[in-house]
Amino acid sequence: MAVDKNMRILVVDDFHTMRRIVINLLKQLGFSNVVEAGDGKEALEKVHSDKIDLVVSDWNMPNMTGIEFLKELRADERYKSLPFIMVTAEGKKENVIAAVHAGVSNYVVKPFNAATLKEKLTKVVGEF
Amino acid sequence: MVNKELVQNKIEALEGTKEEFVPIEQVRELTNAIKSLFEGNFEEVNIELYGELGELARFINNAKKELQDFQPDSLSNEKLPEASDQLAAIVTTTEDATRKIMDSCDDINAIHERVRDRLLSIEPPLDPDVVASIEDSLMEAQTSSMQIYEACTFQDLTGQRIQKIVETLKEVERQVLRMVIIFGLNNENAKSIDEDKKKALQSDADLLNGPQLPGNSLEQDDIDDILNQLL
Repeated sequence: MAVDKNMRILVVDDFHTMRRIVINLLKQLGFSNVVEAGDGKEALEKVHSDKIDLVVSDWNMPNMTGIEFLKELRADERYKSLPFIMVTAEGKKENVIAAVHAGVSNYVVKPFNAATLKEKLTKVVGEF
Repeated sequence: MVNKELVQNKIEALEGTKEEFVPIEQVRELTNAIKSLFEGNFEEVNIELYGELGELARFINNAKKELQDFQPDSLSNEKLPEASDQLAAIVTTTEDATRKIMDSCDDINAIHERVRDRLLSIEPPLDPDVVASIEDSLMEAQTSSMQIYEACTFQDLTGQRIQKIVETLKEVERQVLRMVIIFGLNNENAKSIDEDKKKALQSDADLLNGPQLPGNSLEQDDIDDILNQLL
């Protein structure tokens, strides 16, 4: 089944530059229905208020980190299977394992490029 | 030594007696001799202890003098905060520069789009091979522009690393402040450190995380291996 390119993607990062880069890469891949959040707390509100189909989130953020945000989502029955890609500079093995245990769908380590993001998106939402 | 010999003599005298009962006077003498022996030892111990304490006091005084020469109050009140400010300025400057680079990339992409539109709307139409060739070149330029965009992730990574250094500096600042207070080095300055600053220093510890240095971190391929095993 073809992926809906109009799916709503929530991009979460406290660095505005990083959000802009991810959003631009997503646009290059054909996804332009994007919502932004600056930390996990704001992201959680966006998930509740907007109909989000996929989350691309950083790990280290003030107020609520990416892993805390992920755990909050997975604790809610409605978002148990919401696709969640962690995009982070946290490249330690224990971080990856912790993210998997928390229910992450895939994990991208920074710095990354459009090809890596495309590959992960394909794994999570299917071919496009 | 005198006390020890005295005790020894008293014991030998007691052992050598043929009497069934030892006179109380002799026992008292032995007891006093033993008591005296121990008192002597305690004095020796005390003298040794005083000596050690004296050494320790001298060491502390020397350390204190060296710390005063080192001007820890100036370090914690001026130099370390200044270093943190300089690093924060680096983050701001690179952030501004990154934004300008990305703005320029967006402008270049928009120009490419306009050139493409103009190219396709030229009348009479150009040779299709020429159009295809120009379009290929435009595509290559757009790919390069995208790579510049991707490279801008450096700002996020360096920003996080610098943040980590700033937090470490703040920790050093905290420890130096403690030292100033404990040793009473320039009490006026130590007292003048306002509570807000102390609280601010205290609350920074939770932002110590940041990107790992190359070599301390896994590559994307290693992460994919872990994901393949766990997901």
